[in-house]
Amino acid sequence: MTSVANRAAATGWVLLIFLAWLIAYPLVLVLIEGFRGSHGWTLEYVNLFLQRRNEAQALWGSLWISVVTVALAAVIGVPLAYLFWRYDFPGRRLLGGLVALPAVLPPLVGVIAFLFLYGESGFTSLLVQWLFRLEEPPWRLQGAAAILLVHAYSMYVYFYLFTRAGLASLDGAVFEAAASLGAGRWRTLRRVVFPLLYPALGGGALLTFMTSLASFSAPYIFGGGFRVMTTQIVATRLNGDDQLAMIETTSLTLLALVALWLLRGAREAENPAGGRKGVPPALVPVRSRWLRLALMLLGWVLALVLLLPHLTLLLVSFVPAGTWTTEPLPPAYTWRNYLTLIEDPVRARPLLNSLWLATAATVAAVGIALVAGILSVRRRVLGRTAIQGLLALPWAVPGTVFAIALATAFSVREPLAGRFILVGTLWLLPLAYLVRNLPITSRAVVAGLRALDPSLEEAAASLGAARWRTLRRVTLPLLRPALVAGSSLAFVTAFGDFVTSIMLYTYDTRPISLEILSSLRQSDVGVAAAYGVVLMAVSAAVFAVGADQGSAG
Amino acid sequence: MLYSPHGRDQLVLLEQDFERLRPDIDVRWLDMGSQEILDRLRFERVNPQADVWFGGPATIFDRGIEDSLLIPYRPAWAERMGGSARSSYYYPVYRTPAVIAYNSRAVPQSAAPQDWDEVLDERWRDKVIIRDPMASGTMRAIWGLILVRSVQQTGDTARGMAWLRRLDGQTKTYTINPALLYEKLARQEGLVSLWDLQDILISQAKGLPLGYVFPRSGTVVIEDAIALVRGARHSEAARAFIDYVGSPKAQLLAAREVFRLPARTDLPVDSVPGWVAEVEREMVVAKMDWDMLSRQGPAWMSYWDQHVRGTGKR
Repeated sequence: MTSVANRAAATGWVLLIFLAWLIAYPLVLVLIEGFRGSHGWTLEYVNLFLQRRNEAQALWGSLWISVVTVALAAVIGVPLAYLFWRYDFPGRRLLGGLVALPAVLPPLVGVIAFLFLYGESGFTSLLVQWLFRLEEPPWRLQGAAAILLVHAYSMYVYFYLFTRAGLASLDGAVFEAAASLGAGRWRTLRRVVFPLLYPALGGGALLTFMTSLASFSAPYIFGGGFRVMTTQIVATRLNGDDQLAMIETTSLTLLALVALWLLRGAREAENPAGGRKGVPPALVPVRSRWLRLALMLLGWVLALVLLLPHLTLLLVSFVPAGTWTTEPLPPAYTWRNYLTLIEDPVRARPLLNSLWLATAATVAAVGIALVAGILSVRRRVLGRTAIQGLLALPWAVPGTVFAIALATAFSVREPLAGRFILVGTLWLLPLAYLVRNLPITSRAVVAGLRALDPSLEEAAASLGAARWRTLRRVTLPLLRPALVAGSSLAFVTAFGDFVTSIMLYTYDTRPISLEILSSLRQSDVGVAAAYGVVLMAVSAAVFAVGADQGSAG
Repeated sequence: MLYSPHGRDQLVLLEQDFERLRPDIDVRWLDMGSQEILDRLRFERVNPQADVWFGGPATIFDRGIEDSLLIPYRPAWAERMGGSARSSYYYPVYRTPAVIAYNSRAVPQSAAPQDWDEVLDERWRDKVIIRDPMASGTMRAIWGLILVRSVQQTGDTARGMAWLRRLDGQTKTYTINPALLYEKLARQEGLVSLWDLQDILISQAKGLPLGYVFPRSGTVVIEDAIALVRGARHSEAARAFIDYVGSPKAQLLAAREVFRLPARTDLPVDSVPGWVAEVEREMVVAKMDWDMLSRQGPAWMSYWDQHVRGTGKR
């Protein structure tokens, strides 16, 4: 073994131990609580779990909602990505960016925007009611259908982004070859494009499935009586049955791990095209005037529909408290809500807090992902499967659970057991954001590295460049699109995080989402919406910069 | 440092007033739900951040005592509060009565349900909106009232559960947070709810068209307490703040500005705001066995969640 390989192996072990300590260890500490009764180890709570009909219902609900969400998100996201990639029509670039915006709908108030929009007293239902002269509102935003609507809306973005990234790395020559062999458009799509897209689609499916499984707000708010596991866990905890809640959490985590295992093929698949060679295929310009017009119209209507929740939120942020009730549109407008935000320095601070927290967590997550990516894709160190598995694990666990796990693990001073007191300090929240960000950044880095031709790095090495120099001058610049895409998504996720923050924030790290919650508690929907709009604007700006940098790289 | 489920308005109000009296103390607070306070105090046991736990129903303070998160402190005003103290660890500062709430634009006061049983009237079928009772101390207390009554009258909870099943049949939806409850009531997605007096009064003051009725047969009054956290770093300041919250000045301030019903019974009649006098006149307080609720509550709620929720329409 060479010394380089030795050093890589050593770094690999250090990284593996670090990740195990940060990610797996807290989870194990918490999950075993479910097997501990007042007199030592017990299966009492497992039995209780198995006996209750509710629990099985909730687990089944989580499972099928997630599977259907994946299907719906794919049906929306994949054709959209294909449309924007293959055809040229007016407004293509702008619309292509706007379509990714559902990813930045802020927590809590975003759901309120849905209520104002599609709820039974929202505009859409009032409009339908008026159009068809109905006595009763045409629908209720409740139950499984409502959860699926919100999920499909917010999660098709994963499929969209992954498919676009996958398509972007296709080689135009493949199309020419297919065409010259006489394959029609459908046949090319079916036999050439889809097989090449498998890794991207698998990645999108995994991300959607995990997010949907761990989704809490949508079922919590729109579920009505519909049970899923995440809401069940919270209900059980609120009732003081902590052990049972841990068993429920374990069941959900196991379900996620099974999914991770089933879809591991998607992660492991090497890119058969061998990286980005040649040129991307030319855009197909749409020649027919009518078709152009139709496509443009379709594009704009689609973008409008997708942006309606954002626009509703913007509208709500200008409404004085308590004035908008049964009217179709707000009867009064004001700047007051925004002034509240600016005037009191105490209320502006959460914005700064969220900014530095999210930045720190993102930088750290990108760094770790980069090391892990290079070690497992290029150096292929022993234990790379474990490293990548650990990095993906935070997706599989609901945010609330991770927050509890971190808080439990780091509330005891036992340095020998690797436990320190971080609770109540500045460090716990950024650490939690970091953990939540790792799957996003590591997936981006791994995908980027796989698409990168190793012969470029070999060439640099054969030209005498040292490894650092190769990394700095060759690998990193080529990875930039992937890094930028990953880090902007990670930043936005941390910036708007609610479920982890609520357990872990302190006086000095109070993030913006908690300020939204605090306003909502006082029925200041307008102020909450104003915070939401600020959050949305910052996130959208980060995304825009990301998209710009990513495509320039 | 305070951990408190009271809203920002009230916390800012008391913070500023207290800091004027004691310029040497800088009051900081974090507002969060009562359950979150309990969770946090548990995690922070070895590195306590909070000094005072300000607010929440007595039942959840009981769980804090079980986990030995509190230390006894008897405030200067302890014997001025109405009712009997249930514990030496926490003392009530406000009373939070449960009420029947309704949309006052769609329903005139006289047509609103006047008692719990009237909410089950055919007229309100699918017009009732309920805050998810698993997550709310107020709702747990109302459920508790119904079930404790059932036990006292018939020896078990069967009748109470049957009542709750009929209520479930009337219920259009369970909302997950109070903000959604107010929005849905104001937007007339539903017309009637069960909720607490203080939040209805605050929403009224913010312009939402909500009204309330005290149930004729008596309502449950939640004692909203305050306690000193074990291991508090600023224990002197914390005691001073606890003493302040129960003082006539702070009680009246909270009553006037944020509609908190004072727990003190010795406030001069001419200085209490009008609404307090009105409430005292109209409110019928039901006898409530809090110990039974504290003991049985979780099992009852779990039964309700599994066997009653969603079954009333069948």
